[in-house]
Amino acid sequence: MTLASDPGNRSPGGLLWSPTAGFAAVGLNARRRTAGMRTDYIKEQKQAHGRKVLAVLPIQYPKELLTAMDVLAVELWGPPGAPRGPGAGRIQAYVCAVARNAVAFVQAGGTQDVDGYLYPHACDSIQGLATLIPSFGGADKPALHYLNPKGGPRPSSRKFVVAELRDLARKLEGITGVSLVADRLEWAIGLHREIDGLRLQLLEGRSRLALADRALYEVLRRGEWLWPEDHLAELKEAAGGLAEGGEGAVKQKGVPLLLTGIVPEPMTIFDELADLGAYVAADDYAAVGRRVVRKPLVRKDDPVETLAWLMFAYPPCPTRSTSLAERMDYLNRLVQQSGAQGVVIHTVKFCEPELFDVAGIKAHFGAQDVPVLFLESELESELAGQTVTRLEAFVEMVAQRRKS
Amino acid sequence: MITRRLQYELIKHVGGPFLMELQGLQKRLKGRRGPRPDSPFGPPLESIGKLKDLMTRHYLEGRYADGAVPVAWVTSGFPVELLRTLGFHSVYPENHAALCGVQRLCSEYSDAAEKVGYSRSLCSYARTDIGGVLLDKTPVGRLPRPDLLACCTNICQTVLYWYRCLADHFKVPLVLIDTPYVYGAKDSAEHHQQYVKDQLEELMAVAERVSGRRASEERLLEVARLSYEGTMLWGECLAESTHRPAPWTGFDGFFHIGPIVALRGGAECNAYYRHLLDELRDRVRRGVGGIKEERYRLLWDNLPIWFNVREMSTLLAENRFNIVVTTYTNAWAEAGKRMDPTDPINSAARSYTHVILNEDLDRRLELMSRLAGDYQVDGALLHSDRSCKPYSIGQVDLRDKLAERAGIKSLLLEADHNDLRAYSTEQGNTRLQAFMESFA
Repeated sequence: MTLASDPGNRSPGGLLWSPTAGFAAVGLNARRRTAGMRTDYIKEQKQAHGRKVLAVLPIQYPKELLTAMDVLAVELWGPPGAPRGPGAGRIQAYVCAVARNAVAFVQAGGTQDVDGYLYPHACDSIQGLATLIPSFGGADKPALHYLNPKGGPRPSSRKFVVAELRDLARKLEGITGVSLVADRLEWAIGLHREIDGLRLQLLEGRSRLALADRALYEVLRRGEWLWPEDHLAELKEAAGGLAEGGEGAVKQKGVPLLLTGIVPEPMTIFDELADLGAYVAADDYAAVGRRVVRKPLVRKDDPVETLAWLMFAYPPCPTRSTSLAERMDYLNRLVQQSGAQGVVIHTVKFCEPELFDVAGIKAHFGAQDVPVLFLESELESELAGQTVTRLEAFVEMVAQRRKS
Repeated sequence: MITRRLQYELIKHVGGPFLMELQGLQKRLKGRRGPRPDSPFGPPLESIGKLKDLMTRHYLEGRYADGAVPVAWVTSGFPVELLRTLGFHSVYPENHAALCGVQRLCSEYSDAAEKVGYSRSLCSYARTDIGGVLLDKTPVGRLPRPDLLACCTNICQTVLYWYRCLADHFKVPLVLIDTPYVYGAKDSAEHHQQYVKDQLEELMAVAERVSGRRASEERLLEVARLSYEGTMLWGECLAESTHRPAPWTGFDGFFHIGPIVALRGGAECNAYYRHLLDELRDRVRRGVGGIKEERYRLLWDNLPIWFNVREMSTLLAENRFNIVVTTYTNAWAEAGKRMDPTDPINSAARSYTHVILNEDLDRRLELMSRLAGDYQVDGALLHSDRSCKPYSIGQVDLRDKLAERAGIKSLLLEADHNDLRAYSTEQGNTRLQAFMESFA
């Protein structure tokens, strides 16, 4: 089962982790091996730990709650590549491929090992999917919903999130037979903060990390389907590289860029960047950096309320409709802190929330003389030739400006 | 401020009515043109003149509204009754964009939006509106600058992304009513209703601050009553098409929806629909149809193709097909079932949450099957609208389910509600012809 993105096989220096061998060089059949590994991993989680598994659609959801209730979240970002069955035809071709591929995948039996689905409210397309499959078929497992409130935090939305979290906990109880225990939720919140801390170290310390972008993203994105404690162990191992060569030793010498978008697919974009002599100095992908809380945790007496606080603590994301000004401030900080010399907006075609912000990002960074490249890609496994050419021209231009 | 207010009041109470009278006089002097003898349509609705007057006056008043009264730009599904209570002049960018669509201005306006980075994959209403703002152009003379942007997610999330951009452009507050989507149940969950209710209360505080006025409960009850009455009247107008022949066409309905969207909660809106209802009832009594010969009756799903209304309606009418009901126009009538004008806040929380685009596909299929039965339709046209993804997702299955469960033959027609660059008339007509031939 390949519920999240599969690593491809282009980066010769890429690393891949396996439960038995730790990090190992990526080989030609890595894609197939990882797919099998993921299926085995899920089965092992169910058999050895008695955990339930939910296929979770993008983007933001209270993962801490799932962890606390011993539910493994396996995220379904498409998956990328060509649709895995005729089910994609149930959604028009002008709708985002994350949704179309997900229908195809689910209908083709790609999620047969899961115990249910969680549809967080991200956008109109995921919302459509969240009714299409339960209403008209494609999967016979329970469908749960989590409604992310839109707009910034307001008294009404804070109160709503607490109620929505309790409601989701009750529904999870129906699947797991396990009740939510406050201590367990406190523990899960702590565990995920530790994960966030390490993810942040890796993202912010990017220039001091010898790993190639592709390898780093493979580690980061394995959090989309690993049990959090396993993911934490991998992150610790990866973060060990930050200290190599002494504090502050710069290991990335290429052109530093900020990448923003929904999901880094196709992952070959990182190979292309590496080939062109550039690297991701700052990340604002919804699937990655936008899910790392950067604010210090504010603990409340009731852990559900702490979790509700967290749901508003994520970096700005158009799918939750934080204001444009707030988002630009945040992106500005990323550029300044990372020293990024250019911005690449890399988004999946037909992704409305992302596309509405493109004009604002262009205007904002244009006014600061920071070059911006807008790349719209499908969810296929390779970047189109013309996209690579545009990327190449952009990196060359930024490199020239850097020299001069 | 005082001068602007004087101008506004003069236009509202003297200039507007005078201009309308003058226009009416000119029309009477010219004499009324009847339909062409070879026209496949029935006699035109007389109410159309009143509709034009009403909407023209609304836009005319708008030209003088900013600086005189508080102005809100509002989404079509927003609980506008609360703003009306505070005397806001409301502008509906969707309604305005549709108007631009009919006049085929979308390409020009959209180009301006695309030039600064708005993708052509985005909703063409949004592109039309944003392009118009950037170009400072509108076919209605002038749109007043907003003091407040008011957005409700019950029709789509797109409006929120769009209004964020407007908020950034105009640097004015954006108020949001976020209506949780209703999954798998006839009624939304209690905490979802509470959330909407809480937001309505927060909205009042912001709207009072922006307008500098205090809301009066008495006025709110009056506006809620008018809104309920208008909604029911609109529903009665639509229901006249359950008769054979239907006294008007679904395409007429697309235009006559203007007042219930833009002037809901006002006495003039209701007066207009009373007039329209009288005319429709009279046509039913006399057996006058929207088209001359109504043989087949169709249901339309999704927004209209604004730039192609004339051509498509003519093609259908020539082949004796009439669109007698549309899920789009019905949405504003359906809301009335959950309204309680004596309890405006709770009523708004309920009725604005339960709209067609905020309910799951089971409810949508149920609704379409019911409408198909009530209006005795023979088939359905499902407009697969590139610019309205939330309305379009699920239509492939809906088409199949309508056939399976209700025996309704349907055509999925891909187009766009405003952008004529995304539609091939020839291909569309060929598909329509083939669909119509299948009824022979």
